[in-house]
Amino acid sequence: MLIFSFLLTSLQSCTVVREYEKIYINDPDMILSARSSERFENAFQVYREAAVGGGGGKTGGGCGCN
Amino acid sequence: MKYYLFGLFASLSLSIFSQNTDYKKRVLENTEIELLSSYYSQDGVHSVIGGGIGTEELTDATLSIILTTPLNDDDVLTIDAGVSAYTSASSSNINPYNSTGASGGEGDDDDDDEGRGRNNNANSAPTGTPWAASSGASRSDELFYLNASYSHSSESRNFIWNTHASVSNEYDYTSVGVGGGISKLFNEKNTEVSLNASAYFDTWRPIYPTELHEYSKYGNGFLNQGFFQGVTILDQNGNATSAYRPTGFSQHSQTNRNSYAVTLGFSQILTKRLQVSLSLDVLLQDGLLATPYHRIYFEDKPKFYIGNAASIPFYTDPRNQDVFRLADDVEQLPNNRFKLPVGLRANYYINEMLTLRTYYRYYYDDWGITSQTANVELPVKITRSFTLLPMYRYYKQTQADYFAPYNQHFSTEKYYTSDYDLSAFDSNQYGIGASYTDIFTKFKIGTFGLKTIDLRYNNYERSDGLNANIVTFGLKFIQN
Repeated sequence: MLIFSFLLTSLQSCTVVREYEKIYINDPDMILSARSSERFENAFQVYREAAVGGGGGKTGGGCGCN
Repeated sequence: MKYYLFGLFASLSLSIFSQNTDYKKRVLENTEIELLSSYYSQDGVHSVIGGGIGTEELTDATLSIILTTPLNDDDVLTIDAGVSAYTSASSSNINPYNSTGASGGEGDDDDDDEGRGRNNNANSAPTGTPWAASSGASRSDELFYLNASYSHSSESRNFIWNTHASVSNEYDYTSVGVGGGISKLFNEKNTEVSLNASAYFDTWRPIYPTELHEYSKYGNGFLNQGFFQGVTILDQNGNATSAYRPTGFSQHSQTNRNSYAVTLGFSQILTKRLQVSLSLDVLLQDGLLATPYHRIYFEDKPKFYIGNAASIPFYTDPRNQDVFRLADDVEQLPNNRFKLPVGLRANYYINEMLTLRTYYRYYYDDWGITSQTANVELPVKITRSFTLLPMYRYYKQTQADYFAPYNQHFSTEKYYTSDYDLSAFDSNQYGIGASYTDIFTKFKIGTFGLKTIDLRYNNYERSDGLNANIVTFGLKFIQN
Protein backbone atom coordinates (compact mmCIF):
# COMPACT_ATOMS: atom_id res chain seq x y z
CA MET A 1 0.00 0.00 0.00
CA LEU A 2 2.91 2.37 0.76
CA ILE A 3 4.41 1.68 -2.65
CA PHE A 4 1.11 2.34 -4.36
CA SER A 5 0.58 5.56 -2.42
CA PHE A 6 4.08 6.71 -3.35
CA LEU A 7 3.47 5.96 -7.02
CA LEU A 8 0.11 7.65 -6.92
CA THR A 9 1.46 10.90 -5.58
CA SER A 10 4.78 11.06 -7.41
CA LEU A 11 3.75 9.90 -10.88
CA GLN A 12 0.92 12.39 -11.06
CA SER A 13 3.56 15.02 -11.56
CA CYS A 14 4.48 13.41 -14.91
CA THR A 15 3.55 15.26 -18.06
CA VAL A 16 -0.16 14.95 -18.78
CA VAL A 17 -0.84 13.49 -22.23
CA ARG A 18 -4.05 14.97 -23.65
CA GLU A 19 -6.63 12.78 -25.36
CA TYR A 20 -5.73 14.13 -28.82
CA GLU A 21 -2.04 13.29 -28.14
CA LYS A 22 -2.73 9.62 -27.35
CA ILE A 23 -2.47 8.33 -30.91
CA TYR A 24 0.50 6.12 -29.96
CA ILE A 25 -0.77 5.19 -26.49
CA ASN A 26 -4.07 4.00 -28.02
CA ASP A 27 -2.38 1.65 -30.49
CA PRO A 28 -3.74 -1.91 -29.95
CA ASP A 29 -0.21 -3.23 -29.31
CA MET A 30 0.22 -0.78 -26.41
CA ILE A 31 -2.53 -2.23 -24.26
CA LEU A 32 -1.36 -2.85 -20.67
CA SER A 33 -2.64 -6.39 -20.31
CA ALA A 34 -2.11 -9.79 -21.86
CA ARG A 35 -3.75 -10.35 -25.22
CA SER A 36 -6.84 -12.57 -25.25
CA SER A 37 -4.96 -14.97 -27.52
CA GLU A 38 -2.38 -15.46 -24.73
CA ARG A 39 -4.91 -17.03 -22.34
CA PHE A 40 -4.04 -20.62 -23.20
CA GLU A 41 -0.33 -19.98 -22.76
CA ASN A 42 -1.09 -18.40 -19.39
CA ALA A 43 -3.17 -21.46 -18.49
CA PHE A 44 -0.43 -24.02 -19.08
CA GLN A 45 2.08 -21.78 -17.29
CA VAL A 46 -0.21 -21.77 -14.23
CA TYR A 47 -0.38 -25.57 -14.40
CA ARG A 48 3.33 -26.13 -14.89
CA GLU A 49 4.79 -23.40 -12.65
CA ALA A 50 4.27 -22.41 -9.03
CA ALA A 51 3.75 -18.69 -9.68
CA VAL A 52 0.36 -17.15 -10.40
CA GLY A 53 -1.07 -13.65 -10.61
CA GLY A 54 0.79 -10.36 -10.80
CA GLY A 55 -1.07 -9.52 -13.97
CA GLY A 56 0.34 -12.62 -15.61
CA GLY A 57 -2.53 -15.05 -15.34
CA LYS A 58 -5.40 -16.19 -13.19
CA THR A 59 -5.08 -15.69 -9.47
CA GLY A 60 -6.50 -18.94 -8.24
CA GLY A 61 -9.25 -21.47 -8.27
CA GLY A 62 -10.84 -23.37 -11.09
CA CYS A 63 -8.30 -26.13 -11.36
CA GLY A 64 -6.66 -28.79 -9.30
CA CYS A 65 -3.23 -27.43 -10.03
CA ASN A 66 -0.83 -26.24 -7.30
CA MET B 1 -34.17 39.92 -44.05
CA LYS B 2 -30.72 39.97 -42.56
CA TYR B 3 -32.18 40.00 -39.05
CA TYR B 4 -34.30 37.03 -39.95
CA LEU B 5 -31.26 35.14 -41.25
CA PHE B 6 -29.26 36.06 -38.15
CA GLY B 7 -32.04 34.79 -35.90
CA LEU B 8 -32.25 31.52 -37.85
CA PHE B 9 -28.49 31.04 -37.64
CA ALA B 10 -28.47 31.73 -33.88
CA SER B 11 -31.25 29.29 -33.16
CA LEU B 12 -29.58 26.59 -35.25
CA SER B 13 -26.29 27.12 -33.39
CA LEU B 14 -28.00 26.82 -30.03
CA SER B 15 -29.73 23.66 -31.16
CA ILE B 16 -26.46 22.04 -32.27
CA PHE B 17 -24.75 23.08 -29.02
CA SER B 18 -27.47 21.53 -26.87
CA GLN B 19 -27.25 18.30 -28.91
CA ASN B 20 -23.43 18.19 -28.29
CA THR B 21 -23.91 18.41 -24.51
CA ASP B 22 -26.25 15.36 -24.70
CA TYR B 23 -23.77 13.24 -26.71
CA LYS B 24 -22.02 10.41 -24.78
CA LYS B 25 -19.67 7.94 -26.38
CA ARG B 26 -20.69 4.36 -25.71
CA VAL B 27 -18.23 2.30 -23.68
CA LEU B 28 -18.53 -0.42 -26.32
CA GLU B 29 -19.98 0.44 -29.68
CA ASN B 30 -20.92 -3.01 -31.02
CA THR B 31 -21.21 -6.63 -29.98
CA GLU B 32 -18.00 -8.62 -30.39
CA ILE B 33 -17.55 -12.37 -30.65
CA GLU B 34 -14.17 -13.97 -30.26
CA LEU B 35 -13.41 -17.61 -31.06
CA LEU B 36 -10.20 -18.99 -29.59
CA SER B 37 -8.76 -22.46 -29.94
CA SER B 38 -5.51 -24.09 -28.95
CA TYR B 39 -3.63 -27.36 -29.17
CA TYR B 40 -1.08 -28.15 -26.48
CA SER B 41 1.31 -31.07 -26.22
CA GLN B 42 4.01 -31.86 -23.70
CA ASP B 43 6.36 -34.61 -22.61
CA GLY B 44 8.82 -35.12 -19.78
CA VAL B 45 10.30 -37.73 -17.46
CA HIS B 46 9.10 -36.73 -13.99
CA SER B 47 5.47 -37.85 -13.76
CA VAL B 48 4.06 -36.85 -10.37
CA ILE B 49 1.61 -39.74 -10.57
CA GLY B 50 4.63 -42.03 -10.80
CA GLY B 51 6.07 -40.38 -7.68
CA GLY B 52 8.48 -38.21 -9.66
CA ILE B 53 9.42 -40.56 -12.50
CA GLY B 54 7.65 -41.60 -15.66
CA THR B 55 6.18 -40.17 -18.80
CA GLU B 56 4.54 -36.75 -18.68
CA GLU B 57 3.10 -37.08 -22.17
CA LEU B 58 -0.09 -35.04 -22.49
CA THR B 59 -2.15 -33.38 -25.19
CA ASP B 60 -4.91 -30.84 -24.72
CA ALA B 61 -7.32 -29.21 -27.15
CA THR B 62 -9.36 -26.20 -26.08
CA LEU B 63 -12.13 -24.13 -27.64
CA SER B 64 -13.45 -20.87 -26.17
CA ILE B 65 -16.17 -18.47 -27.24
CA ILE B 66 -16.22 -14.96 -25.79
CA LEU B 67 -19.25 -12.74 -26.34
CA THR B 68 -18.95 -9.07 -25.34
CA THR B 69 -22.04 -6.93 -25.80
CA PRO B 70 -23.10 -3.41 -24.79
CA LEU B 71 -26.31 -3.41 -22.79
CA ASN B 72 -26.56 0.39 -23.11
CA ASP B 73 -24.20 3.37 -23.29
CA ASP B 74 -22.58 2.58 -19.93
CA ASP B 75 -22.82 -1.17 -19.36
CA VAL B 76 -21.07 -4.15 -20.90
CA LEU B 77 -21.81 -7.85 -20.45
CA THR B 78 -19.22 -10.52 -21.24
CA ILE B 79 -19.97 -14.26 -21.50
CA ASP B 80 -17.00 -16.60 -21.81
CA ALA B 81 -17.56 -20.32 -22.30
CA GLY B 82 -15.24 -23.12 -23.25
CA VAL B 83 -14.31 -26.76 -23.21
CA SER B 84 -10.92 -28.38 -22.82
CA ALA B 85 -10.24 -32.03 -23.59
CA TYR B 86 -7.01 -33.64 -22.51
CA THR B 87 -5.38 -37.02 -22.89
CA SER B 88 -2.57 -37.84 -20.49
CA ALA B 89 -0.30 -40.87 -20.23
CA SER B 90 0.59 -39.72 -16.72
CA SER B 91 -3.02 -39.44 -15.51
CA SER B 92 -3.78 -42.86 -16.98
CA ASN B 93 -1.37 -44.30 -14.42
CA ILE B 94 -3.65 -43.50 -11.52
CA ASN B 95 -4.56 -47.08 -12.36
CA PRO B 96 -1.44 -48.24 -14.20
CA TYR B 97 -2.30 -51.91 -14.56
CA ASN B 98 -3.15 -53.18 -18.00
CA SER B 99 -6.54 -54.70 -18.68
CA THR B 100 -5.35 -58.01 -20.05
CA GLY B 101 -4.27 -59.47 -16.72
CA ALA B 102 -5.82 -57.24 -14.11
CA SER B 103 -9.43 -57.64 -15.21
CA GLY B 104 -9.22 -61.22 -16.43
CA GLY B 105 -10.03 -60.06 -19.92
CA GLU B 106 -12.75 -57.55 -18.95
CA GLY B 107 -12.25 -54.09 -20.37
CA ASP B 108 -12.80 -51.52 -17.64
CA ASP B 109 -9.94 -51.04 -15.25
CA ASP B 110 -10.97 -47.81 -13.55
CA ASP B 111 -10.23 -47.93 -9.85
CA ASP B 112 -13.70 -46.82 -8.86
CA ASP B 113 -15.09 -50.15 -9.91
CA GLU B 114 -16.26 -52.65 -7.35
CA GLY B 115 -13.50 -55.13 -6.64
CA ARG B 116 -13.33 -57.98 -9.09
CA GLY B 117 -11.64 -61.30 -8.88
CA ARG B 118 -8.30 -61.33 -10.60
CA ASN B 119 -6.84 -64.20 -12.54
CA ASN B 120 -3.74 -65.67 -10.89
CA ASN B 121 -2.60 -67.17 -14.17
CA ALA B 122 1.01 -66.00 -14.61
CA ASN B 123 0.39 -65.58 -18.33
CA SER B 124 -2.28 -62.90 -17.64
CA ALA B 125 -0.77 -61.28 -14.52
CA PRO B 126 -1.24 -57.50 -14.47
CA THR B 127 1.69 -55.31 -15.41
CA GLY B 128 2.22 -51.61 -15.56
CA THR B 129 4.95 -49.05 -16.01
CA PRO B 130 5.36 -45.36 -15.22
CA TRP B 131 6.92 -44.96 -18.68
CA ALA B 132 3.81 -45.57 -20.77
CA ALA B 133 0.09 -44.94 -20.66
CA SER B 134 -2.31 -47.52 -19.31
CA SER B 135 -5.79 -48.09 -20.69
CA GLY B 136 -7.51 -46.73 -17.57
CA ALA B 137 -10.46 -44.36 -17.78
CA SER B 138 -8.44 -41.61 -16.12
CA ARG B 139 -6.38 -41.32 -19.31
CA SER B 140 -8.65 -38.56 -20.61
CA ASP B 141 -11.03 -35.97 -19.26
CA GLU B 142 -12.92 -32.84 -20.27
CA LEU B 143 -13.14 -29.49 -18.50
CA PHE B 144 -16.16 -27.26 -19.08
CA TYR B 145 -16.24 -23.67 -17.91
CA LEU B 146 -18.53 -20.65 -18.01
CA ASN B 147 -17.66 -17.11 -16.91
CA ALA B 148 -19.92 -14.07 -16.88
CA SER B 149 -18.88 -10.53 -16.09
CA TYR B 150 -20.63 -7.17 -16.01
CA SER B 151 -19.14 -3.69 -15.92
CA HIS B 152 -20.65 -0.24 -15.46
CA SER B 153 -18.94 3.03 -16.35
CA SER B 154 -19.86 6.42 -14.93
CA GLU B 155 -21.05 9.28 -17.14
CA SER B 156 -17.58 10.78 -17.15
CA ARG B 157 -16.03 7.36 -17.86
CA ASN B 158 -13.67 7.98 -14.94
CA PHE B 159 -15.17 5.41 -12.60
CA ILE B 160 -15.90 1.77 -13.44
CA TRP B 161 -17.20 -1.02 -11.28
CA ASN B 162 -17.42 -4.65 -12.29
CA THR B 163 -18.61 -8.00 -11.04
CA HIS B 164 -18.09 -11.56 -12.25
CA ALA B 165 -19.06 -15.16 -11.60
CA SER B 166 -17.60 -18.40 -12.90
CA VAL B 167 -18.18 -22.14 -12.80
CA SER B 168 -16.11 -25.01 -14.11
CA ASN B 169 -16.31 -28.77 -13.88
CA GLU B 170 -14.23 -31.82 -14.69
CA TYR B 171 -14.48 -35.43 -13.59
CA ASP B 172 -12.94 -34.99 -10.16
CA TYR B 173 -13.15 -31.23 -9.58
CA THR B 174 -15.77 -28.47 -9.50
CA SER B 175 -15.10 -24.76 -9.07
CA VAL B 176 -17.43 -21.84 -8.35
CA GLY B 177 -16.02 -18.32 -8.31
CA VAL B 178 -17.30 -14.79 -7.65
CA GLY B 179 -15.68 -11.40 -7.59
CA GLY B 180 -15.85 -7.71 -8.26
CA GLY B 181 -13.85 -4.55 -8.43
CA ILE B 182 -13.60 -0.83 -9.01
CA SER B 183 -11.37 1.35 -11.17
CA LYS B 184 -10.80 5.08 -10.94
CA LEU B 185 -9.22 7.13 -13.72
CA PHE B 186 -7.97 10.65 -13.19
CA ASN B 187 -5.35 13.09 -14.30
CA GLU B 188 -7.14 13.29 -17.70
CA LYS B 189 -7.20 9.50 -17.78
CA ASN B 190 -3.40 9.35 -17.57
CA THR B 191 -3.63 7.50 -14.26
CA GLU B 192 -5.75 4.53 -13.28
CA VAL B 193 -6.06 2.83 -9.92
CA SER B 194 -8.04 -0.37 -9.46
CA LEU B 195 -9.02 -2.73 -6.69
CA ASN B 196 -10.41 -6.20 -7.39
CA ALA B 197 -11.35 -9.12 -5.19
CA SER B 198 -12.33 -12.68 -6.04
CA ALA B 199 -13.05 -15.92 -4.27
CA TYR B 200 -13.18 -19.49 -5.57
CA PHE B 201 -14.96 -22.27 -3.73
CA ASP B 202 -13.76 -25.54 -5.19
CA THR B 203 -14.52 -29.16 -4.41
CA TRP B 204 -12.45 -32.27 -5.07
CA ARG B 205 -14.03 -35.66 -5.73
CA PRO B 206 -10.82 -37.48 -4.85
CA ILE B 207 -9.47 -40.30 -6.94
CA TYR B 208 -6.65 -42.31 -5.38
CA PRO B 209 -4.04 -44.63 -6.91
CA THR B 210 -5.50 -48.12 -7.31
CA GLU B 211 -3.37 -49.85 -4.68
CA LEU B 212 -4.16 -47.23 -2.01
CA HIS B 213 -7.85 -47.13 -2.95
CA GLU B 214 -8.05 -50.90 -2.46
CA TYR B 215 -6.23 -50.74 0.89
CA SER B 216 -8.60 -48.03 2.07
CA LYS B 217 -11.61 -50.06 0.92
CA TYR B 218 -10.71 -53.51 2.29
CA GLY B 219 -8.24 -52.80 5.08
CA ASN B 220 -5.48 -55.24 6.03
CA GLY B 221 -7.12 -58.09 4.12
CA PHE B 222 -7.01 -56.15 0.85
CA LEU B 223 -4.44 -58.44 -0.79
CA ASN B 224 -7.03 -61.22 -0.94
CA GLN B 225 -9.90 -59.11 -2.24
CA GLY B 226 -10.86 -56.78 -5.05
CA PHE B 227 -8.10 -55.85 -7.48
CA PHE B 228 -5.38 -57.77 -5.59
CA GLN B 229 -7.20 -61.09 -5.42
CA GLY B 230 -4.92 -63.57 -7.11
CA VAL B 231 -2.33 -60.92 -7.97
CA THR B 232 1.30 -61.60 -7.09
CA ILE B 233 3.17 -58.81 -5.32
CA LEU B 234 6.95 -58.80 -5.57
CA ASP B 235 9.62 -57.44 -3.23
CA GLN B 236 12.80 -55.62 -4.30
CA ASN B 237 14.46 -58.95 -5.12
CA GLY B 238 11.57 -60.12 -7.29
CA ASN B 239 10.24 -62.66 -4.76
CA ALA B 240 6.55 -63.06 -4.04
CA THR B 241 5.48 -61.40 -0.79
CA SER B 242 2.38 -60.48 1.18
CA ALA B 243 4.16 -57.84 3.28
CA TYR B 244 2.83 -54.76 1.41
CA ARG B 245 0.91 -52.54 3.85
CA PRO B 246 0.61 -48.79 3.08
CA THR B 247 -0.39 -48.07 6.67
CA GLY B 248 0.52 -44.38 6.38
CA PHE B 249 -2.27 -43.78 3.87
CA SER B 250 -5.73 -42.51 4.73
CA GLN B 251 -8.31 -40.81 2.55
CA HIS B 252 -8.64 -37.04 2.83
CA SER B 253 -11.42 -36.01 5.17
CA GLN B 254 -11.49 -32.47 3.79
CA THR B 255 -12.24 -32.16 0.08
CA ASN B 256 -12.88 -28.46 -0.37
CA ARG B 257 -10.33 -25.94 -1.63
CA ASN B 258 -10.92 -22.19 -1.28
CA SER B 259 -8.92 -19.41 -2.94
CA TYR B 260 -9.15 -15.71 -2.12
CA ALA B 261 -7.47 -12.91 -4.06
CA VAL B 262 -7.20 -9.14 -3.68
CA THR B 263 -5.55 -7.27 -6.53
CA LEU B 264 -4.27 -3.69 -6.49
CA GLY B 265 -3.61 -2.20 -9.91
CA PHE B 266 -1.94 1.02 -10.95
CA SER B 267 -1.23 2.30 -14.46
CA GLN B 268 0.34 5.53 -15.64
CA ILE B 269 0.98 7.16 -18.98
CA LEU B 270 4.50 8.55 -18.65
CA THR B 271 5.02 10.10 -22.10
CA LYS B 272 3.24 10.12 -25.45
CA ARG B 273 4.97 6.82 -26.24
CA LEU B 274 5.44 5.11 -22.87
CA GLN B 275 3.00 3.71 -20.32
CA VAL B 276 3.49 1.38 -17.37
CA SER B 277 1.38 -0.64 -14.96
CA LEU B 278 1.94 -2.31 -11.62
CA SER B 279 -0.16 -5.19 -10.27
CA LEU B 280 0.03 -6.53 -6.72
CA ASP B 281 -1.94 -9.59 -5.65
CA VAL B 282 -2.48 -10.94 -2.16
CA LEU B 283 -3.61 -14.56 -2.45
CA LEU B 284 -4.74 -17.00 0.21
CA GLN B 285 -5.68 -20.64 -0.21
CA ASP B 286 -7.06 -23.12 2.28
CA GLY B 287 -8.43 -26.62 2.23
CA LEU B 288 -7.18 -29.65 0.31
CA LEU B 289 -4.18 -28.17 -1.51
CA ALA B 290 -2.50 -31.52 -2.23
CA THR B 291 -3.57 -33.60 -5.23
CA PRO B 292 -5.07 -36.94 -4.11
CA TYR B 293 -3.49 -39.13 -6.81
CA HIS B 294 0.12 -37.92 -6.65
CA ARG B 295 2.09 -40.97 -5.46
CA ILE B 296 4.83 -40.83 -2.85
CA TYR B 297 7.60 -43.38 -2.25
CA PHE B 298 9.59 -43.41 0.99
CA GLU B 299 13.29 -44.10 1.10
CA ASP B 300 12.94 -45.75 4.52
CA LYS B 301 10.24 -48.21 3.46
CA PRO B 302 10.58 -51.53 1.58
CA LYS B 303 9.77 -51.51 -2.10
CA PHE B 304 6.91 -53.57 -3.59
CA TYR B 305 5.98 -54.14 -7.22
CA ILE B 306 3.44 -55.68 -9.56
CA GLY B 307 4.60 -57.04 -12.90
CA ASN B 308 7.76 -58.53 -14.35
CA ALA B 309 10.47 -59.15 -11.73
CA ALA B 310 13.21 -59.00 -14.38
CA SER B 311 12.47 -55.28 -14.93
CA ILE B 312 12.83 -54.26 -11.25
CA PRO B 313 16.61 -53.54 -11.44
CA PHE B 314 16.01 -50.80 -14.05
CA TYR B 315 12.64 -49.59 -12.73
CA THR B 316 13.57 -45.90 -13.05
CA ASP B 317 14.72 -46.31 -16.65
CA PRO B 318 12.36 -46.02 -19.66
CA ARG B 319 13.47 -49.55 -20.62
CA ASN B 320 11.07 -50.67 -17.88
CA GLN B 321 7.81 -51.40 -19.67
CA ASP B 322 6.20 -54.01 -17.46
CA VAL B 323 6.62 -53.40 -13.72
CA PHE B 324 5.05 -50.79 -11.42
CA ARG B 325 6.01 -49.94 -7.86
CA LEU B 326 3.22 -49.79 -5.30
CA ALA B 327 2.86 -46.43 -3.53
CA ASP B 328 3.56 -45.80 0.15
CA ASP B 329 1.28 -42.74 0.34
CA VAL B 330 0.01 -39.76 -1.65
CA GLU B 331 1.46 -36.26 -1.39
CA GLN B 332 0.69 -34.36 1.79
CA LEU B 333 0.81 -30.56 1.76
CA PRO B 334 -0.22 -27.84 4.24
CA ASN B 335 -3.89 -26.88 4.17
CA ASN B 336 -3.12 -23.20 3.69
CA ARG B 337 -0.88 -21.14 1.45
CA PHE B 338 -0.08 -17.44 1.15
CA LYS B 339 1.08 -16.03 -2.21
CA LEU B 340 2.36 -12.57 -3.11
CA PRO B 341 3.03 -11.83 -6.81
CA VAL B 342 3.99 -8.36 -8.06
CA GLY B 343 3.94 -7.67 -11.79
CA LEU B 344 5.20 -4.71 -13.82
CA ARG B 345 4.37 -3.96 -17.46
CA ALA B 346 6.02 -1.34 -19.63
CA ASN B 347 5.05 -0.73 -23.24
CA TYR B 348 6.90 1.67 -25.52
CA TYR B 349 5.83 2.80 -29.00
CA ILE B 350 9.13 2.93 -30.90
CA ASN B 351 7.81 3.95 -34.31
CA GLU B 352 5.05 3.12 -36.80
CA MET B 353 6.55 -0.34 -37.34
CA LEU B 354 7.78 -1.35 -33.90
CA THR B 355 6.33 -1.51 -30.40
CA LEU B 356 8.10 -2.95 -27.37
CA ARG B 357 6.01 -4.86 -24.81
CA THR B 358 7.70 -5.99 -21.60
CA TYR B 359 6.58 -7.74 -18.42
CA TYR B 360 8.33 -8.65 -15.18
CA ARG B 361 6.93 -10.50 -12.16
CA TYR B 362 8.35 -11.39 -8.76
CA TYR B 363 6.53 -14.09 -6.82
CA TYR B 364 6.77 -15.23 -3.21
CA ASP B 365 4.82 -17.82 -1.22
CA ASP B 366 5.08 -19.35 2.23
CA TRP B 367 5.82 -22.81 0.90
CA GLY B 368 9.37 -21.62 0.24
CA ILE B 369 8.98 -20.75 -3.43
CA THR B 370 10.18 -17.52 -4.98
CA SER B 371 10.24 -16.93 -8.69
CA GLN B 372 10.97 -14.36 -11.36
CA THR B 373 9.34 -14.02 -14.76
CA ALA B 374 10.53 -11.82 -17.62
CA ASN B 375 8.68 -11.50 -20.89
CA VAL B 376 9.39 -9.42 -24.00
CA GLU B 377 7.36 -9.10 -27.18
CA LEU B 378 8.22 -6.99 -30.22
CA PRO B 379 5.20 -6.46 -32.52
CA VAL B 380 6.38 -5.62 -36.03
CA LYS B 381 3.81 -4.00 -38.30
CA ILE B 382 4.75 -5.34 -41.70
CA THR B 383 1.77 -3.56 -43.29
CA ARG B 384 -1.16 -1.62 -41.85
CA SER B 385 -3.08 -4.91 -41.57
CA PHE B 386 -0.40 -7.52 -40.88
CA THR B 387 1.72 -7.74 -37.73
CA LEU B 388 4.41 -10.23 -36.75
CA LEU B 389 4.85 -10.99 -33.04
CA PRO B 390 8.18 -12.49 -31.98
CA MET B 391 8.27 -13.15 -28.22
CA TYR B 392 10.47 -14.60 -25.50
CA ARG B 393 9.77 -15.53 -21.88
CA TYR B 394 12.18 -16.59 -19.13
CA TYR B 395 11.05 -18.09 -15.82
CA LYS B 396 13.02 -19.26 -12.79
CA GLN B 397 11.75 -20.62 -9.47
CA THR B 398 13.16 -22.05 -6.28
CA GLN B 399 11.95 -25.31 -4.81
CA ALA B 400 9.12 -25.75 -2.32
CA ASP B 401 10.14 -26.71 1.22
CA TYR B 402 8.24 -30.00 0.88
CA PHE B 403 9.68 -31.18 -2.42
CA ALA B 404 12.07 -34.09 -2.94
CA PRO B 405 12.67 -36.26 -6.02
CA TYR B 406 11.48 -39.85 -6.41
CA ASN B 407 12.20 -42.11 -3.41
CA GLN B 408 13.90 -39.38 -1.37
CA HIS B 409 11.19 -38.63 1.17
CA PHE B 410 11.09 -40.20 4.63
CA SER B 411 7.97 -41.53 6.31
CA THR B 412 8.68 -39.37 9.36
CA GLU B 413 8.08 -36.14 7.41
CA LYS B 414 4.78 -34.35 7.90
CA TYR B 415 4.54 -32.84 4.39
CA TYR B 416 5.96 -34.28 1.18
CA THR B 417 5.59 -34.01 -2.58
CA SER B 418 7.51 -35.20 -5.64
CA ASP B 419 5.66 -32.83 -7.98
CA TYR B 420 8.31 -31.27 -10.21
CA ASP B 421 6.03 -28.25 -10.75
CA LEU B 422 7.11 -27.37 -7.18
CA SER B 423 10.81 -28.13 -7.75
CA ALA B 424 13.61 -25.68 -8.61
CA PHE B 425 13.87 -25.08 -12.33
CA ASP B 426 14.11 -22.47 -15.00
CA SER B 427 12.41 -22.34 -18.37
CA ASN B 428 12.71 -20.66 -21.72
CA GLN B 429 9.75 -20.01 -23.98
CA TYR B 430 10.19 -18.86 -27.56
CA GLY B 431 7.29 -17.90 -29.74
CA ILE B 432 6.13 -16.27 -32.91
CA GLY B 433 2.72 -14.93 -33.77
CA ALA B 434 0.95 -13.28 -36.65
CA SER B 435 -2.05 -11.02 -36.59
CA TYR B 436 -4.20 -9.81 -39.47
CA THR B 437 -6.59 -6.90 -38.96
CA ASP B 438 -9.30 -5.88 -41.40
CA ILE B 439 -10.49 -2.46 -40.28
CA PHE B 440 -13.40 -2.53 -42.76
CA THR B 441 -14.44 -6.10 -41.83
CA LYS B 442 -15.11 -7.00 -45.44
CA PHE B 443 -15.68 -10.71 -44.71
CA LYS B 444 -19.04 -11.14 -42.98
CA ILE B 445 -21.08 -13.91 -41.43
CA GLY B 446 -24.58 -12.52 -41.06
CA THR B 447 -24.24 -9.13 -39.42
CA PHE B 448 -20.81 -9.91 -37.96
CA GLY B 449 -17.70 -8.83 -39.81
CA LEU B 450 -14.32 -10.49 -39.31
CA LYS B 451 -12.01 -7.98 -37.59
CA THR B 452 -8.87 -9.90 -36.69
CA ILE B 453 -7.21 -13.26 -37.21
CA ASP B 454 -4.50 -14.34 -34.76
CA LEU B 455 -2.13 -17.28 -34.92
CA ARG B 456 0.54 -18.01 -32.28
CA TYR B 457 3.08 -20.76 -31.71
CA ASN B 458 5.21 -21.20 -28.61
CA ASN B 459 7.84 -23.72 -27.59
CA TYR B 460 8.45 -24.16 -23.85
CA GLU B 461 11.44 -25.95 -22.36
CA ARG B 462 12.02 -26.57 -18.67
CA SER B 463 15.41 -27.39 -17.20
CA ASP B 464 14.10 -30.63 -15.62
CA GLY B 465 13.34 -32.08 -19.06
CA LEU B 466 9.71 -31.06 -19.57
CA ASN B 467 9.08 -29.62 -23.00
CA ALA B 468 5.86 -28.36 -24.54
CA ASN B 469 4.43 -26.82 -27.67
CA ILE B 470 1.27 -24.79 -28.03
CA VAL B 471 -0.53 -23.41 -31.07
CA THR B 472 -3.32 -20.86 -30.63
CA PHE B 473 -5.73 -19.64 -33.29
CA GLY B 474 -8.24 -16.84 -32.83
CA LEU B 475 -10.96 -15.03 -34.78
CA LYS B 476 -12.66 -11.83 -33.71
CA PHE B 477 -15.97 -10.68 -35.19
CA ILE B 478 -17.66 -7.32 -34.71
CA GLN B 479 -21.33 -6.69 -35.33
CA ASN B 480 -21.94 -4.01 -37.93
